[in-house]
Amino acid sequence: MRKAFAVIIKIYQKWISPAFGPRCKYYPSCSTYATNAVSEYGAKGLAMTAWRLVRCNPWSHGGVDYVLSKSSKQPIKTGAN
Amino acid sequence: MGSILNPLYYAVSWVIVTFHSLLGYIFGENESESIKWSLSIIGLVILIRIILIPLFVKQIKSQRALTALQPHMKEIQKKHKDDRQKQSEEMMKLYKEHKTNPLASCFPILAQAPIFFALFTVLNGIARNTPHGVLKGDLLLSAQEAKFFGANLSSTFLSSDVNTQTKLVIVALIVFMSATTFTTQRQLMVKGMPKMDSSNNMMLQQQKIMLYVFPVIFAVSGVNFPVGVLIYWSTTNLWTFGQQFYVIKRNPTPGSPAYEELMKKRTVKDNGAPPTTNEDGTTQTDPGIEQSKPQQRQQPSKGSKKKKKK
Repeated sequence: MRKAFAVIIKIYQKWISPAFGPRCKYYPSCSTYATNAVSEYGAKGLAMTAWRLVRCNPWSHGGVDYVLSKSSKQPIKTGAN
Repeated sequence: MGSILNPLYYAVSWVIVTFHSLLGYIFGENESESIKWSLSIIGLVILIRIILIPLFVKQIKSQRALTALQPHMKEIQKKHKDDRQKQSEEMMKLYKEHKTNPLASCFPILAQAPIFFALFTVLNGIARNTPHGVLKGDLLLSAQEAKFFGANLSSTFLSSDVNTQTKLVIVALIVFMSATTFTTQRQLMVKGMPKMDSSNNMMLQQQKIMLYVFPVIFAVSGVNFPVGVLIYWSTTNLWTFGQQFYVIKRNPTPGSPAYEELMKKRTVKDNGAPPTTNEDGTTQTDPGIEQSKPQQRQQPSKGSKKKKKK
């Protein structure tokens, strides 16, 4: 399930997202955040992703916002560039 | 799902029906139903895009605010030359610190998605003779007859009883949508964005992807969507193009090639070479161009004196 989600996001990042140009207010972008959140937290990661998408709106100032690892509480930096 | 979207069906159908009856005053009650219905869909686009303008203006304003951050940005780029991750991270921090973020977020796209979907359902309702919202009764019958260059507003490429004329119209719309989107993105990439040293390769890659991906996306979805939805999509694309064209020409992002062009034009126009724009320019543009410019038109020492006074 988590693998499938990661694949869908990968396809989105490679083929669909370039069409919109860079537009995410956060770093890493919402899609990378989604991959990391779901692979680390599963279903809860989906909720985290939804919340991230809500926070990424025209009135927000964005910023740096990593998914934290379950065990070490350290930011997960994979996939970000 | 249907009940959640019901208010949207009402809203979308109400806007279309209202435009349709307003257009009735222009074209006459019983005349040119086709034109009225087609223009009503275009009216829906215009209304939505006008509502979204403040967001766009907000974004432009925060892009303008970047001028002040330019030195910081250069510093970050230099400091983390070989580490793109660190570079982007520091950039985002900088934006947040200064409470300005030039990026648009997905909201403008996501906000249009439900409307798009509602329009899709309402138009499909016309084809299937199912009323949605206020589009019912005689209005539904009239909409069923409405055509756009001979193609029924509610028919799709894949529906069974579609004639060649309709298919041609749909193909034309798909080509138009691909072309407008591609030109818009290309213009933004070539002229609208601040120059970055490392982005050239990425840009070419991106253009290549877009050149193939857009027509595929539009073709795959285009053959499944009713003509009316394609009209909506084409119009909104055209609007995006026009909006961006205006901004890039009149109010470009500092540091972008379009900005340099505008500055050049302005300095040529009012010969006195306003010191403020000159200073703005020199902070972020190619030094080669900037240096040659003042030499051309700085008559005697007038210009530099003015500069000092400021």
